[in-house]
Amino acid sequence: MAGRRITSLTFTYLLLIVAFISFTFPFFLLIVNSFKRNGEILENPFSLPASLDFSHFGDVIEKMNFLVTFKNTFLITLLSVLFILLFSAMAAYYIVRNSTSFNRTFFAILVASMIIPFQSLMIPLIYIYGSKLNLIETVPTTLLIVLYIGFGSAFSVFIYHGFIKSIPLELEEASLIDGCTRRQTFFKIVYPMLSPTSSTIAILNVLWIWNDYLLPSLILTNEKNFTMPIKMKVFNGTYMNNWELLIPAILMTVLPILVAYLFGQRYIIKGVMQGAIK
Amino acid sequence: MLAEKKRLNRLGNQLFFTGPTMIAFTIALLIPFVYGFYLTLMKMATPVSPPAFSGFENYRAAFSDSQFWDSLWLTVKYTGATIVFVNAIGFALAYLVTMGIRSQNFFRTALFTPNLIGGLVLGYIWQFIFVQSLPAVGENLGIELLRLGWLGDEHLAFWALVIVTIWQSAGYMMIIFIAGLISVPKDIIEASTIDGANAWQRLTKMTLPLMVPSFVVTVFLTLKNAFIVYDINFSLTEGGPYNSTLMISMHIVQKAFMETNYGVGQSEAIILFAIVAIVTGVQVYFSKKMEVEA
Amino acid sequence: MKKTFVSILIALLTVALAACGGSKSNDAAESSAAPSHSASASASASPSSSPEQDKVEIIMTNGKGEIASQWEQAAKDFMAANPNITVKAYSQAVGDTLSILDKLTASGETVTIAMMGPDQLLNKHKDFGIDLSNEKWNGDTSYGIRDESGKVVGFPFAIEGFGLVYNKKVVEKAVGGSFDPFSINTRDKLKELLDKMKASGVQYPVAYQTEAWSVSNHYSTQFLNQAADPNTVIAQLKEGKLDLASNAVWNGYYDTMDLLASKEYNKYGERPLGKYYDDAHLSVGKGESAILFNGNWAFDSLKAVAGDSFGFIPVPVDNNPDNPLNNKIQAGPTQSLVINNKATPAQQEAAKKFLNWIVYDQAGQDFLVNKSQIISAFKNNPNKVTNPLGAAIADAIAQDKTLPFTNNYIYGDDWFKLIGPEVQKYIVKKVSRADLAKFIQDYYTSKK
Repeated sequence: MAGRRITSLTFTYLLLIVAFISFTFPFFLLIVNSFKRNGEILENPFSLPASLDFSHFGDVIEKMNFLVTFKNTFLITLLSVLFILLFSAMAAYYIVRNSTSFNRTFFAILVASMIIPFQSLMIPLIYIYGSKLNLIETVPTTLLIVLYIGFGSAFSVFIYHGFIKSIPLELEEASLIDGCTRRQTFFKIVYPMLSPTSSTIAILNVLWIWNDYLLPSLILTNEKNFTMPIKMKVFNGTYMNNWELLIPAILMTVLPILVAYLFGQRYIIKGVMQGAIK
Repeated sequence: MLAEKKRLNRLGNQLFFTGPTMIAFTIALLIPFVYGFYLTLMKMATPVSPPAFSGFENYRAAFSDSQFWDSLWLTVKYTGATIVFVNAIGFALAYLVTMGIRSQNFFRTALFTPNLIGGLVLGYIWQFIFVQSLPAVGENLGIELLRLGWLGDEHLAFWALVIVTIWQSAGYMMIIFIAGLISVPKDIIEASTIDGANAWQRLTKMTLPLMVPSFVVTVFLTLKNAFIVYDINFSLTEGGPYNSTLMISMHIVQKAFMETNYGVGQSEAIILFAIVAIVTGVQVYFSKKMEVEA
Repeated sequence: MKKTFVSILIALLTVALAACGGSKSNDAAESSAAPSHSASASASASPSSSPEQDKVEIIMTNGKGEIASQWEQAAKDFMAANPNITVKAYSQAVGDTLSILDKLTASGETVTIAMMGPDQLLNKHKDFGIDLSNEKWNGDTSYGIRDESGKVVGFPFAIEGFGLVYNKKVVEKAVGGSFDPFSINTRDKLKELLDKMKASGVQYPVAYQTEAWSVSNHYSTQFLNQAADPNTVIAQLKEGKLDLASNAVWNGYYDTMDLLASKEYNKYGERPLGKYYDDAHLSVGKGESAILFNGNWAFDSLKAVAGDSFGFIPVPVDNNPDNPLNNKIQAGPTQSLVINNKATPAQQEAAKKFLNWIVYDQAGQDFLVNKSQIISAFKNNPNKVTNPLGAAIADAIAQDKTLPFTNNYIYGDDWFKLIGPEVQKYIVKKVSRADLAKFIQDYYTSKK
């Protein structure tokens, strides 16, 4: 019996190590090849770099106009997520607590909209906000953030809705009796209670917006507004990929998220789990 | 229900709480969706040319576009493959990291990492792997299957897409399954162990039926993501070789923007929406039914 | 950014705040969001209304993503020399879904100078440009792009050419001495050369990369050179008067392709399609293989691994050593600059100045050849590209050993998207040569 337990334990570890290697080796490749020249990269992608050559990072920072691009990506992500968190929680709260037929319909439409493929909105988006209203030219960043709030709201309201349903009414009733208004009750009592859910929603939205390519590529036309996934295309030549710059660029795009994840992994995993159970 | 007594008060709160979401949602989804439907009834050459009414002409063109149906069929195959593999592997991993081994938190963290990468970047990384890295391995170790790139063979390129999808989303599904597995009552499992059920029987007879709610969520997510996949397709295979991996979303983008056939592209997008709506609706309906029965 | 933050706040919270009074409806708040956007925007953009008449702003787009930084610098240098002209320079991110020109046009901008391939200029954008026939620079080049009526509508920005790129070292070792690429003027001589290389220990002398643009737009258009003016061949195709399956030149190029892609000589013969671009250049660069089909731009990849010298062999079509097709390589303009006829006369003048700046100003000449490493279409440009393949093209031009660049006579997007996949299917033998012939013929007859 003990022997079988040990073999099964060994087997479990073996499987997990195989999984671990297959799920993480691309990160290893990214790191080692960030320090190599094109020739060295193409020759053997798995070899360790002959020397620690940081010069590509300098090139990438310059060619991607990294500080500006990073700032754009960071602010667009931050503002979109903050607004999504605030507005979605407010909407979900009101929908749960005032279950009028109007609110139920609104919620149903929100949930149903989750299956609209983005491709079916792309052409109208350009048509309306580009050639009709010209917002793409005049206020691209604002437009992009508003669109993210709109696209993010369905899923976020849905998750908040599930969570708020499970909060007992008594607390709110007590606070209303104490003379707080509806709005005060929400911000002082309810919103703080939502924070675990908020962190889940924040994480999922950050991952989505930070990495998103298609929407910003349609909305942002001016180089100075570009986000990192768009700007990365400068290393994607007409005929070949300039790997010695593309790889460090990828690493630098992924790194902030990776670092944030390593610091907050406990909460992130917990958050995703909570999101799943609703 | 906490309804306000004064109507004016209620209207104020309604607008305060739901107004911002409603506006953003209207701008991002509602107007474009309705307008998009209107556009399918129009004929327009470029995004700036004035549209002219053309009835169902665009839909007729969409239905007779053979590449559209090829792409749709390919997308269905891809969806089938990813649903099976992503869920199977996600569940297996979840099972392994809830067995109570010491370093299970470490593995959970590591296996979730691929989720942090999305879209274009994901495709670039894997292009680097399929085009540069695996052939190097093949050449050095003499593995014939790996010596030449995978992305130029229609079957291998298809599986390359599936593999990348598994790599990216299996970790996420794993977390959802972990949440489900943790909530499986311990006493039921222990009782069955005493009754002499072996590990396989415990898994299939006891655990899996209790996991149906988790599967409803994960299958819905994989289904939806697979049907509208674009970024990986675009950055990994670009639809090649000879359009054999051109999936539906990418086909629509090409139709609309490369061939500048906005009306037909938009009609195909609407058809795609209808298909996704029906398929996910059916899936959720049947799995909810299963959930009740189980 | 702060402005953005504030305007979103205002846009989205006006509703809620205004609603406290309970008087405003949802719709009113929504429409109030739009003006607040445009108000902040119009303050920054509308230089046209400025009273100074001499100032002119032009927008120019660059379709070659790889020279984005040089393009921007050129704009700055040009502005420094012409202080009354403001240039906004945009570059295409390569592989982007929308071309930068379409994107800007769709958002309501008037692009003054647009860079585009000659095929785009003559097809998709044929109503875009102004007549440039009377520009001085026409005296220094013969490559100006002419429309059907013979007017010059495009400024030839970049000259490029292609053929069989070969690694001199490997080939010289195989033939045992110096090698003249123009001595390979029949298919049999090419085969003989490949066999010699195999005998000298090169397992796969060819590394044949098969991207759609290469096998279709470049390789498969070569047959158009069977007439002195490729347009006559196109006209025959459109009228359905040319039977490709029985056309000797058309078949000849595919016989040569079969040779290049065969398992015997091609490194990728077992699985000939794939993204082999990097690997093919790596192999030829290092000398593990010796020949690939590509243009002068291949040097960007070759130099990454080796400083060896490279050159071009003409692509042989048959076994007649006197056939000019076997003795020349293709070269021609691949990018042109076009001035928008919707731009104001002042903008058009400024744009013409920029074109002259490229041809006649030292800084412009330097930008084109030295900085961007582009082969100039202009005889008066004293600079030479350092790239050996570019130099080989320049030499071929000087010795009159070039053929028209057939890629400029087709509609590139169609060949890439429609015919490219068919040629790839032919390479993996999913369709027969007769099927391919029929496909190309049908394409042209349906285009009429």
